[in-house]
Formats: sequence, structure tokens, C-alpha cells
Amino acid sequence: MKKSLLLLTAILICLGTFGQSRKKPSGFNAKEKAKEQEKFLNKQFWLGFKAGINLSQADPTVRYSILSPTNYPIGTTNKVYDSFNKVGSQASIEVTFYYKGFSFSTQPTYLHSRFTYSNQLTWDNPENAKEQLILNYDNEQKLDYADLPFIIKYDITHNRLRPYVQAGIFYSILINATKSVTVSGQDYASGGTNQFTNEPIIVGAKDLFTNYWGLMAGGGANYNLGNVRLVLDISYRKGMSNIANTKNRYNNDRLSGIGDVQDDTKLNNIVISAGCLFPMRFLSNSFKALDK
Amino acid sequence: MKNYIALATLFITFSCANESSPTIDKLNFTRIYDNNKFNTSYYPIDMRQTSDGGYLILGGRRLKDSNFTGTYIMKVDEFGVFVSDQEVDSKYINPVGQLLEVSGKYYFFCMTSVGLQTQLVELDVNGAITKNTSVSGSYPMVAAQDAATFILLGYDNSTKESVVSLVSTSGSISKSSEFGIGAGDAVEEPIINHFIRTGRQLPFQVGKSASGQYYFNGFYNYTMSLVFTDLTSNNPLGVVQGQQDDGGVSQILSLEGSKFATARFNFGDNYFIPNSTISTTGISSSVDLGGNTVPELTPNSPVKIISTKINSKDMLLYASNTRSKQIAIFGYDKTSGEFKGSHYLGFSNPFEVASIIATTDGGLAICGTTYAAGRFPRICLFKLSQEQVSLSFNK
Repeated sequence: MKKSLLLLTAILICLGTFGQSRKKPSGFNAKEKAKEQEKFLNKQFWLGFKAGINLSQADPTVRYSILSPTNYPIGTTNKVYDSFNKVGSQASIEVTFYYKGFSFSTQPTYLHSRFTYSNQLTWDNPENAKEQLILNYDNEQKLDYADLPFIIKYDITHNRLRPYVQAGIFYSILINATKSVTVSGQDYASGGTNQFTNEPIIVGAKDLFTNYWGLMAGGGANYNLGNVRLVLDISYRKGMSNIANTKNRYNNDRLSGIGDVQDDTKLNNIVISAGCLFPMRFLSNSFKALDK
Repeated sequence: MKNYIALATLFITFSCANESSPTIDKLNFTRIYDNNKFNTSYYPIDMRQTSDGGYLILGGRRLKDSNFTGTYIMKVDEFGVFVSDQEVDSKYINPVGQLLEVSGKYYFFCMTSVGLQTQLVELDVNGAITKNTSVSGSYPMVAAQDAATFILLGYDNSTKESVVSLVSTSGSISKSSEFGIGAGDAVEEPIINHFIRTGRQLPFQVGKSASGQYYFNGFYNYTMSLVFTDLTSNNPLGVVQGQQDDGGVSQILSLEGSKFATARFNFGDNYFIPNSTISTTGISSSVDLGGNTVPELTPNSPVKIISTKINSKDMLLYASNTRSKQIAIFGYDKTSGEFKGSHYLGFSNPFEVASIIATTDGGLAICGTTYAAGRFPRICLFKLSQEQVSLSFNK
């Protein structure tokens, strides 16, 4: 996947370099230029590539637990989720149709996101302080999705630097998922304080997750460098449906055996991408960059 | 644009279909019933699905002041969520399965800590004790049900006899026969070790065959034996002898006439015989039953057998414990004995089977013991949906 994206980027840059050269055509008068410029600016297809990083937040909507406590509150088993603490990555191909300040864009994206959660369990004996075991379960979830968004952008200004705002909807198709669980703890019953960390349990968890959809909003800026458009894009993606596979929730024996089960969860992301876009119309040797 | 809107609508429709629902949540779950006390231990003995869709679990618990185990009763709802439990007074010890049901009430046998008198305890659907009746005899080992009558296998340590009795719901005994285990302390030792759980848990069983004879799997004539009787005399009709306590029958399920689904053990090895013909008269040996060897099971592994319908076919399911500390379920065609698939439960921590039942929704519920944090014995419950079961046993 990464190789394909690199290859595509290289091809696009070559197209941008050779296809958008700045040779001035002969007989190109100012009036025609202005007309052409208007046409170019008012209606254009852009094709490009973006890549960047993302931070994820898992928002549990319904809690699930393998452990069903008989003498302590069920809330004790709730997972504690960390927000926006693990850096993921993404790569997109952007296809945008621009018309009079508005852009209609789809940006198929390969998005790798990560989030973490933990919980702690304690077994003790009020009559004997030495009989105590504390276990910490640290979980890291990695999810790979193919995103299919539909985004509407509005360019705030029409200069070489063009800040924009955007909003859209996306559908994410699950590609892969892995989960790692590290169990560590303190055992005070062994005759001393026995601190230990077990080898992480790493399992494929694709069956535990599913596709989801969401809404997104954000902003960014395009900078026209010749006919190539550089883009910096920041968006917040709000998951609107459950990413957990409800039918397979308990199907991974490795995880359920140690008491881990997926909550109903909505996945939110902050996505930061940078890339470049290339105009698909007026690609000829005689065309000159328009923005000064 | 229209296509995009249609596509988005389709996506949203599909996505909403993934939201959790009570219907899905009760079809399929795994639960470990944890207690955060360091020095407590619980283990399940038997389980019943109750009329409200929940599950009633009879269990044992460690007692500080007795060599025997105490009685523990737990009720969970249809989602497997803990509802209530009770640590029954330590004067009632040594609870034994099966958990029996007659007219919406649940019963089990145990004994008193003083006098070791057999008790019949009645529970309501929530697991609350509603009646407690003394029954003649001591050391109850295992019980079964024949309509509204209970079949009880007990041990009389004064006469060194295995005792089979028919007990009513009121605790009165209508029939009883005694079978000597043999003279000497050596033959009694594994029985006592079984009771105080310092030794191997022996596969005691009692029941009534499809041909109308009663049977018990217990000690007779120095050997762990499968004994057939009509309860009219103290002489058995037929005996399938084991090898003292090193060999014998692990579990049987009567199919029809003299046909049984059988599991046996022999010096640590385990064998499954899904469709065996057992002579209910005369003397034979469990070794002669042959069977499929199952080396992945723990030595002399406990086995539970049920008959159920899967994919509209009559199936036999054998549940047992593997050396890798999982619960394994093996499926066989009830008629041909052909292997139909397997399903494994549990990982990471040890899991041991106690009970397997077919649930009213066409799935399975499996109750067992797990060791939370790798050390604390706790009760666990697996619920498998009909879909999961169909996939596992569809060969």
C-alpha cells in the first residue's frame, strides 16, 4: 500500500513538473488571459496526495465487562480510556471539484489509528494486609480503516494562500485490527513486594470491530506554488456509529480469558495532513500559473 | 450527487445495524464472576437455565473451619450478569449435583456438617432457599432426576457401601439398594479424598437408562464400576468394571435400549465412545468399550455429555478439559457417532468444565471454573449462540 502511494505521488509530481511548465505562449493577450484565468479559477478538478498524522479518542457508549463482580461495584471494571495520546498515520488520494469558491471532494484514505485504555483490579484480604494482588491491564488498540469521505470545502479567500473551511461525512471500512494487552502488577503475598510485567498478549482483533460512519469538520489552507497546490489540512472526525462488532464481542478467547471485551465505542480523530494537488484541466505546455 | 446521497444512506443504515441490542447481548457472552477477596474460592457444580431466561448455578466454596466444601448458590440474569449469591451457612456442606428441577422449583443434595446427614434443599427461581429436608443416609455423591423422583447415589461409610436411593421432593425414600465397595481402608481412601477435595474428583454418576434400569458409576467390589440395578436387591444386574480408581467410565448418557454415549478413562488416558452398546447384565470391563482416544485432554479428565439438536440434527456433545487449560467441546452425530466438529473455550487463564446445557434459544451454556489472575478459583459462564454452535459442529 505504502509503495503504491509513493509511486502515485512520484507520478503526480512528474505530471505537475512537466505538465505545468511556465512557458509563455505567443500571442496570449491580457484579455484572453483574464478570461482563461477566470475559467480556471471558477471550475477546476484537482487530484493529489496527502499524508499525515492523527490522534484518536475512543468514546465508550455502552460498557461491557467479562468480569461480573459479586462483591464490589461493577463500575470498578470500567476501562479508563486515554484520549488523543497515541499518534497514528494516514495517507489519502484527493479528488476535488472546485466551483466558484466551493470544492466537492472525496479523499479515499488509509487511516491507521491507535488508542489505549487500562483498568486495574485488586484482590485483598482485610484481615491480612500481606494478602494483596494488584493487576494492571494496559491495552493498546490499533485499527486500520479505508475511509471514503465526501467533503464540501469553502475557500475563504482567493489568493495564492487560500484558507478554507470544510465539513463532510465519511464511511470507514475496516481493513485490520490488532490489540495488545500488557498485564503488570504487584503481588504482596509472595513474601515481599513482587512487581512483575508479563509479556504482552498481541492478537489479531479484526473480528471484534466493524465498519462505521461519521461526520467531519475542519479547515486548512491551500498554497498555490505554480500550478501545484500545496495543502495543509486539519479536521476533526466524529464517529457516529459503533466500531465494535456486537456479534463477535466475546469471540476472542485470548482476550476474554483475561477479562477483556470491547465496549460499544465511537471513534473520534484529529487528523492533520499535508500534501499537494494538481489541476486536471488546462494541462498543456502553453498554460502558465495564474496566481501571483 | 444522488448516488452519493444514496450511498451515504446505505452506509448509515448498515452502520446502525451494528448497534448493540439486548437480543444480541443474551445470545452470546462470556462472564467471570469475580470476588475481590484474596482467600475465597468458588467452583461450580451444576447449572440450570431458569424460566426467566437466567441461570441458577450451584457451587461450592472453601470453608475455613471444615475439611469439606461449603455451599454457594448464584443467580445470574439472561445476559449472564450477576444478580445475587448466597454463601449458605457452613452447617450445610458438600453440595452435589445435579441441580434438579421439578415444577419450577430447584433442588440439590448436601449434608450437615454435624452428623453428615443428607439434606435435600429446595430453591426458588432466584436461588433463595425455600425448604430444607433431612434425608436418610450420608455422604451424598451425586443425584439425577427421573421425572419428579430423584435418584441419589450416596456413600455409607459405616457399612462401606455405595447406596442408590429414590427420593421424592419431600425427602422420603421409596426404594434403596446398597452395594459394597470392598473391605479395607485403601478402597475407601479415594472416596474420602474426593469428598474433601484433596484428591482426584471421581466421576460419580447415577441415573436411569432408556431401558428402565437404574445405574450408578461408583465404587463396587473394590473398583470404580458402572453398575446396573433394578433397586430390588443389593446384587447388581450388570457391572462394567474399571481398574480400581485408575480406570472406568467417566460419563454415560443413555440413548436407547442398551446404547449409550460413553466416555471412559484408563490410567490417565481418555476415550470417547459416542455410540456404544453396553451390556447391562453380567460382568464386563470398561477397557472393552474401546473408543476414540483424546490425548489433548487432561489425565482422567472429567467429561460432561449432553444430547441436543444442532442444524436440525441430533447431536452428542462431549465437554472436557484440555491440557492447554481450555474447555473443549466435541460434537458427534447421535445416530452414526461420526465426528462433527469441536469448539474450544477459554485461554490465557485456566478453564475447567462443570456443566454444559442446551439453552432455550438453541444455543449452549457452559459453566466452569476459571482462575482469575491465574490463581483465584472463580465461576465462569460461556453462552454460545445457535449460530456459533451451528458453525462449530457443521462437518
